[in-house]
Amino acid sequence: MTVLSQMLEFTGIEKERLRARWVSSAEAPEFVEEVNDFINTLTPLGPSPLKATLPAGKDEKAETA
Amino acid sequence: MIDQIKAHVATLLRDKKIAGFLGLIEKNGHVAPHLFRDADALDGFCLGDRHAAGDARYPLNKTLGTIARAYPDDTFGVLVRGCDERGLYGLFRLNQLDKKRVVPVGLGCPGDLALACECKKPFPDSLVAGDQTPAPAPAQVADMENNDLAERFDFWTGQFLKCVKCYGCRDVCPMCFCKECSLECEDLITKGDLPVEIPVFHLTRAMHMADRCVDCGLCDEACPSDIPLRLLYKKTAGIMDTEFGFTSGLNKNERSPLSQMGPSK
Repeated sequence: MTVLSQMLEFTGIEKERLRARWVSSAEAPEFVEEVNDFINTLTPLGPSPLKATLPAGKDEKAETA
Repeated sequence: MIDQIKAHVATLLRDKKIAGFLGLIEKNGHVAPHLFRDADALDGFCLGDRHAAGDARYPLNKTLGTIARAYPDDTFGVLVRGCDERGLYGLFRLNQLDKKRVVPVGLGCPGDLALACECKKPFPDSLVAGDQTPAPAPAQVADMENNDLAERFDFWTGQFLKCVKCYGCRDVCPMCFCKECSLECEDLITKGDLPVEIPVFHLTRAMHMADRCVDCGLCDEACPSDIPLRLLYKKTAGIMDTEFGFTSGLNKNERSPLSQMGPSK
């Protein structure tokens, strides 16, 4: 994580877009809180710059794969 | 310089300290790796210098690995520059080579080569010939970091788009030895599809090289698309140094922080 987030920043991707957390399956409220917090971080950042770079279709394929 | 090394190798071979010496040979106008086995047959022995110092290089450690696996009971000598020796230490650490069965014969790099590489230690511990050039001050990574996020994104995306997925960087890399490569895992990387997954492909490799890369620059030289891979891995190595105080292969017996359990920093 330490290394990857800095590598993302080096290659021009906001490091806030990467997050890893350990949440137990018994801790639903904590999970909700984490996800909401992540959404609040991501919304101001807007869509990923990678979306515009990837050729059309590539994204969909990845999703259906 | 070459005569010193040649004499040293001849002595090693004559005294039966080594079964063979893996070095470079100049033959028919080309430089190629060669296993010298006879002290009296060192014709064509060369240091990989043609037009400038060290301009014809090969991942000799990788070849040494292949030879060592075929002849596990023999000891071999190998020609090393500073980076190659860091690679050897790394391969000892990762149990890919047996340090009792390898005799490094070191060659120091001249100042201009060290500067072009921004080498961390341009001379091996097992120095036989050449200078103990001091390590030049690094600047390339800082230069890149002076650009803002959007500029860096445009730069790297442009570079990664050039990739033709030839796997040359992996194949030439002396520190890449995994039997199963993540870059061939079809859940991560689709086969035969271009452009590559940006930035997954290149960052996966960068992450896997984090505690291995010895900054020899062979990947950069091998890349047919001239992607500045070395700059990318220099950054990864820099993070390892800042965060964990670790530089791959710099200290002989140092373990990688990534192979130790404990609380994260």
